[in-house]
Amino acid sequence: MFDPVLAQADTAVDAGKAVALALGIGLGSVGAGIGIGYIFGSMIQSVARQPELRGELQGIMWLGFALCEAVVFYGLIGGLLAFVLV
Amino acid sequence: MKRALALATTLALIAPQVALAAEDEEFDPSREFEQHDWIPIHIGPLDLSITKAVAYLMLGSLITMALGIVLMRWKTSVDPDRRQSAGELIYDIAQTQVAEQGLPHKAIGRWFPYVATLLLFIFVVNLIGFIPLPLSGETFTLFGLELPTLGIYAATSSLAVTLSLALMSWIFTHVEGIRYNGFRGYFGSFMPSGMPPFTFKWAIPLSLLYALELLGQVMRLVSLSVRLYANMLAGHMLILTFIGLMFVLETVVLAPLVIPAATAFYLFEVIIVVGIQAYIFAALSAIYIGSAIEPEH
Repeated sequence: MFDPVLAQADTAVDAGKAVALALGIGLGSVGAGIGIGYIFGSMIQSVARQPELRGELQGIMWLGFALCEAVVFYGLIGGLLAFVLV
Repeated sequence: MKRALALATTLALIAPQVALAAEDEEFDPSREFEQHDWIPIHIGPLDLSITKAVAYLMLGSLITMALGIVLMRWKTSVDPDRRQSAGELIYDIAQTQVAEQGLPHKAIGRWFPYVATLLLFIFVVNLIGFIPLPLSGETFTLFGLELPTLGIYAATSSLAVTLSLALMSWIFTHVEGIRYNGFRGYFGSFMPSGMPPFTFKWAIPLSLLYALELLGQVMRLVSLSVRLYANMLAGHMLILTFIGLMFVLETVVLAPLVIPAATAFYLFEVIIVVGIQAYIFAALSAIYIGSAIEPEH
């Protein structure tokens, strides 16, 4: 079905699928990387300004982190769907 | 202690692969996620067979119940020992971080048990997915003995499991919304506030807006289930692929490279992802249910 290590491109269709999978994960991670960077950066700034709010902010931070990180996996699932179904 | 733990995890990671090395089979990480009927149960069109995911779910629910009883119910006292403190810590997280974040005050009594159970259950199911257990359904022969292969597999890396969990939260959300606000009130609350009245002139834009809001409700279901599923699938796939690199390329030279990498990912998954994903799922369920009970507009 899916061999991430040796994705063999026998035909142009297979090559297209491999490109779709790679783009799905790759571009997805770019956006999520930027988002996660913003979240942790803002968290550091907020805690530096008001250290007493750390406990309250932490819950929101992890929520935002997981929501952002999930975007990579939507890309991954989209890529896998393109790989398996098409 | 820490070094011993790291060593033990490394060894545990090698263990499932020993069997694969013995067989002359091509290694494919995605094969680890296939479901085979161990005990076929077919009732009409329903397929209730016991598969790997079902076995893991059963084990997970047993451990969840045992944790709840041992940590929070059994021999509790005013002067807590370490066991009871652990139970109180879990309860405190479920109360302050999950339930009070999302649920309005009047609904905490009814919905706290549900979100707390979600938190603990998903945490346990995720966690036993990273412990090598003899539940892989394969066997290998060692000194003439047929032994079950140790394998890592999380029930939550199957979309069926996470979708059922998400579906529960989703249905509860709408049932509670209708129960607290009435049918008209609840479905009327999807429309953002400050919109012009529904006249002929505004009919098309307002209907489009409403359709978009309805689509958003369905997307919640997708995002809630796919987030957990894809996180666990990708985590397991990453570890298996790294270790599997040795067997795909058929060389042991890579071992010093791939084993630390796989161990690092393993520790990242166990320490961060397992807990975060359980927390996120429970917190989002609480937020969704809470926002249906008390719509902002």
